[in-house]
Amino acid sequence: MKAKEYVEKVKSREISAVKTTKGILNEIKKINGTYSFFNAISENLALELAERIDKNPKGKLAGLPISIKDDLCVKGVETTCSSNILKGYRPPFNATLVNNLIREGAVIIGKTNQDAFGFGSFNVNTDMGIPKNPVDKSRVTGGSSGGAAGFTALTEFPHVAVGESTGGSIVAPCSFCGVSGVSPTYGLVSRYGLIDYANSLDKLGPIAKYVEDLELVLDVIKGYDFKDSTSLKQDIIKEKEVKKVGLIKETLDVDPKIKDIILKKLDEMNVEYEKVSLPKTSKYALPSYYIIAMAEASTNLAKYCGMRYGQEGKVNLPFNESFSEVRTKNFNKEVKRRIILGTFTRMAGYRDAFYLKAMKVRTLVIEEYKDLFKKYDLLVSPTMPIVAPKLSEVNKLKPRDHYMMDVMTVGPNLAGIPHMSVNAGFYDKLPVGIMFTANHLNEKRLFQVGKGL
Amino acid sequence: MKIDRKILQSVASNARLKLSKKEEDELLPQLNEVLEIFSGLNNLKTDGIKPSFQPVEVKNIFREDKVNKCEEDMLQNVKNKEDRYFKGPKAI
Amino acid sequence: MTKIGLEIHLQLNTLSKVFCSCSTKQVETPNSNVCEICCGFPGSKPVLNKEAFEKALKIALALDCKINRVTFFSRKCYFYPDLPKNFQITQYESPIGINGKFRGIRIRRVHLEEDPGALVHKGSYCLVDYNRSGIPLVEIVTEPDFKTAKEAREFLRELITDLSYLDVYDKKSDFGLKADLNISTTGAKVEIKNVNGLKDIEDALTYEEERQSREVPKNSETRGWNAERRITVLQRTKESEDDYGYITETDLPVIEVSDKLLKVIKDSIPELSKEKLTRFTSQYKLSDKDAKVLSNNKRLSELFEKVAKQVDPEIAAKWIIRDLVNQLNYHKKTLDQANIKPEYMIDLLKLFEGKNITDNTTKQVMIKLIKEKNFSPKEYIEKNNLIMQSSNSKIEEWCEQAVKDCPQAVEDYKNGNEKSLNFVVGKVMQLSNKTANPDIVRKILVKLIRK
Repeated sequence: MKAKEYVEKVKSREISAVKTTKGILNEIKKINGTYSFFNAISENLALELAERIDKNPKGKLAGLPISIKDDLCVKGVETTCSSNILKGYRPPFNATLVNNLIREGAVIIGKTNQDAFGFGSFNVNTDMGIPKNPVDKSRVTGGSSGGAAGFTALTEFPHVAVGESTGGSIVAPCSFCGVSGVSPTYGLVSRYGLIDYANSLDKLGPIAKYVEDLELVLDVIKGYDFKDSTSLKQDIIKEKEVKKVGLIKETLDVDPKIKDIILKKLDEMNVEYEKVSLPKTSKYALPSYYIIAMAEASTNLAKYCGMRYGQEGKVNLPFNESFSEVRTKNFNKEVKRRIILGTFTRMAGYRDAFYLKAMKVRTLVIEEYKDLFKKYDLLVSPTMPIVAPKLSEVNKLKPRDHYMMDVMTVGPNLAGIPHMSVNAGFYDKLPVGIMFTANHLNEKRLFQVGKGL
Repeated sequence: MKIDRKILQSVASNARLKLSKKEEDELLPQLNEVLEIFSGLNNLKTDGIKPSFQPVEVKNIFREDKVNKCEEDMLQNVKNKEDRYFKGPKAI
Repeated sequence: MTKIGLEIHLQLNTLSKVFCSCSTKQVETPNSNVCEICCGFPGSKPVLNKEAFEKALKIALALDCKINRVTFFSRKCYFYPDLPKNFQITQYESPIGINGKFRGIRIRRVHLEEDPGALVHKGSYCLVDYNRSGIPLVEIVTEPDFKTAKEAREFLRELITDLSYLDVYDKKSDFGLKADLNISTTGAKVEIKNVNGLKDIEDALTYEEERQSREVPKNSETRGWNAERRITVLQRTKESEDDYGYITETDLPVIEVSDKLLKVIKDSIPELSKEKLTRFTSQYKLSDKDAKVLSNNKRLSELFEKVAKQVDPEIAAKWIIRDLVNQLNYHKKTLDQANIKPEYMIDLLKLFEGKNITDNTTKQVMIKLIKEKNFSPKEYIEKNNLIMQSSNSKIEEWCEQAVKDCPQAVEDYKNGNEKSLNFVVGKVMQLSNKTANPDIVRKILVKLIRK
């Protein structure tokens, strides 16, 4: 059942929010041992909110179960970003997004698993157990919003997940799990309460089975927030017409079966498309993205030192030793790797060549997209260069191979432009995602095309 | 551009991370492979290009100088506290 | 050749902190004016205090700086328990103002940043209070243009006077002033870090200048100021300082300083102490000394100018700059505490000017004006019959009585002891309840005695 229909039925008291909530919570408890989609199940909060709704069924999301990625603060609910360093941490405040959801009657059911701090494309870099792809349990969900996409694919209950994207972490797991997800324009959704990976790249967005549900939830979570200084005052534009679509030719150099699925889907769409080129983006967006992301992340993660929140350090040591000990012990390999790379690229002597250079390349990437959007309403490409790999295959990959997975998704993420992935078909029974990218604040065009498919 | 062991140790120290020799051995080639990808940026000319620190231009965001007291107890997440102070490691 | 430079940090007097709306008031209980933002909790984000930015801009303009029309914030990364995020948000790359000048000293930069928390060292561990964390700090860096410690001290005093004129800094909150000093006399450069409060900064400058004349530093070193022992001490040479690894603070958007804002802030800068000094000497014909006392005290100069509109400035000067100030010091009150209404001072001094009250009466009433609340000199003088008596007949009456009452003093005076007359004058003042016009008293007494 689509969310909108479900909400109508809750409001007309045809369906009980409490009953649905109990049902979905039971399902989570049953499957989580196998699937590791959830780091925390917020049972008390969920039932409290559901009861409130049944008493007074109001709001655009009345009674709708929503899972929250574990990098978003929910007051009083354990929030870890899937890292041991934040085990036991209960934020003393709600993220603005969470407040917005609750205000419209949503029922917060739990915190979903992810790569620690968002560092990963397969959700294998988690300290909380690696989530399994419901389509094939021997395969990964993709990341970093793996728990969110995985559970969305598995559950038949009405449900929308809130995911987060820095370099592609909403659309990547959507592609691997066969569900839909949108990463909105940077600044459209408030980041207040989002535990930062990279401040100039992080975005929050919904993951759902249906595009209508994405639109419904985005409508509630978007909007200016005075607490987030990068929050946009403008709203998404009204235009939703999609007349011309550009197929990014550099992204077609993939497995021919994947390419075929994409092309077939485009033909079904009945929309005029032509091949376009993003020469600079295709070559340089990836390194530029990673340098910026890691540089910012290395500063964001400095605060975790055993004081104030999370795992506490020893106080009877000199502070540098105490900090080093707690960080070394509780940060996993990938987290350490990114902190080291990020610290390196902003050190004097390397800063110009890496950090500043990456910022300049970003300008060129944005320009390249803007140029295309003068002519085209949407751009399209496969979401990922592969289908969901087996966990055993992922374990053989080197770090640089992990990073190269993001080659399709880093472009729009770097430019802060909205992009959406929906399922385009199956390759040996494994989902293949097709990704649409629009200009800033053109989300309506994405939904228009997504609903048509 | 390469990271050698000395640079790695200096960076790790700066980031308050302790690496064992085994970890250093493992990391060095991995880091240098990634650096190779990063160094690909040198092939793109960016003379005269302004850096974009944010993808969407926002400017002049302020708040009024008003006091709003936070009612939450910021010490609720720690055991290391003493008389309303956060307790921390030796700092001299 | 001696070269001294100052890196001054002062806390702005805003109501709320620079990036959150916690109060900046000093309070007893630790961690009571805090929130998730100034405690660096993950997910929290800074929002810039408009007032803090404008005050920093005001300072930069008052110091004649070139204003950076596009300015932003950076993260200065280092680890320390008092730093809630283990980076400080500052304006390393784009300070609000550069290349300024004040009292002939070049100002390298003026920028805005956040204060870290406060540490209490407990030996084997530390205690941290984040009440101070996030208070807006303005950093003012001078070029090493000072040639003597005295010059630096005087500069600092005048700078602080002007900063309180600008209403950006509370002179009384001495804890809000810190400085790093760099001094090189004949040897290498020495940096003295983290000196708190005006007196300590002055003493550290004096001490170090003198110390370097005895022990010329061969290598550049970092020292600390020991406030108990009043000396600088060599700090353990640290391993090469951590790279701060600056990046842009991307949670805070860029600020573009418009022409309109510049004009508004510029217009809001009042007459500063140097201009005031010049004006007081020329407009009111005050001595340099008197003019300086006034220009160093905004409230005193305001009081003086109000009074000088209605009373002869020379009289206003004597009574306000000297007498009032002396009495305030003696009674250990500040001008703010005394809260003297200009109208009352005008009433009092007008009576003096018109020779309606004696010197003595004026003095006594002034004291009451300082000590008592809602005290009207006019009412008091009338009620207590303190109006100076200048009628000859009345005074003659008192003089005749006094001569009768002080035969010995009169005798001594007749025999040539000039000073004995004062005793008799004193008696007349007593009889007249101090209201007799002392000049007339003397004249009449002399006449009577010589008869």
